Amino acid sequence: MRSTDARARTLIASSMLSVLLFSGVAMAQAAEARSEDSPFIMMCCLGPLLLISLGFAVFGILWAVFYPIMFLYAVIFSERNLNRMMSDLVLRERASIDHFGKDPLSTLKGDHIVGGIKETGLVYANVVYSPSHWQLLIAWINQLFGGRIDVLHRVISAGRAEAKQRLREQAQAAGWDDVLNVRIDTAEMTPASKPKGTRAVEVFAYGTGIKFG
Amino acid sequence: MSSALIMQHIRDGIMVVNTETIAGKVITQNLGVVGGSTVRAKHVGKDIFAGLKNIVGGELKAYTELLEESRTEAIARMVADAAARGANAIVNVRFATSSVAGGASELFAYGTAVTVE
Repeated sequence: MRSTDARARTLIASSMLSVLLFSGVAMAQAAEARSEDSPFIMMCCLGPLLLISLGFAVFGILWAVFYPIMFLYAVIFSERNLNRMMSDLVLRERASIDHFGKDPLSTLKGDHIVGGIKETGLVYANVVYSPSHWQLLIAWINQLFGGRIDVLHRVISAGRAEAKQRLREQAQAAGWDDVLNVRIDTAEMTPASKPKGTRAVEVFAYGTGIKFG
Repeated sequence: MSSALIMQHIRDGIMVVNTETIAGKVITQNLGVVGGSTVRAKHVGKDIFAGLKNIVGGELKAYTELLEESRTEAIARMVADAAARGANAIVNVRFATSSVAGGASELFAYGTAVTVE
């Protein structure tokens, strides 16, 4: 179902592209047949390119207008948003600990369980979290002096706590009593070859949910 | 989505865990390493929006969703692989991530297909 969908989309995109190209070439040839040095040929060949560059120009102007506004917003609100999210997390953590009676996550393998296990299954949760550009600027200034970079530490630990809390909530939703062998992976979204891309980290937490027998 | 996936596992009769053994059961046969991977990307509009959200910081929901979907698909492929080998459980499941290009990411899930009793 999904693969046929993707195939149809690819087919439509490629056919549109080829129609565009062929019509451009055909019109250029027709124009060439009529006269040698008409500006019409240039228009036909450069038309699509001009359209694309117009699109880029519009996007660039919009970006130049929006970036300072968003940056100002980040300067004013990013710290407050982080604090609010952390205090929210504390409440959610307390709620799920109340539900389970203890913190359900552990890195143990399950050998310590005496009563026996009725059912097992995989449980996982992820979150993509990013510092704001204002926080990145502060971090860059801190890097000049070296030492502890508190801003980034707080952002990343907030993301990790969020992923753990989502794992607890997933376990609660699936009806597990406990989550064993929890692993937490951190992957960066920005590849090293493209350092100007989105600066974000992905935190992925997974474990084995169990039901006591 | 995740709970739907768990239902799928129960329907296939394949248990997926990331511990080395399944408590209360004995592994009778090792059927080798099975894996499933997928490469996915969001459309350009969501990429641009995520870029804007990145200035402000916080969670990038579009990318969270993207990785969640891809991981679900990778696990479903791994389970299909194990079912084709006649396994009834996958133990010691691990995940690996790599970013192929800017907006696209490859998710890989692998584990050992076994039969348990």
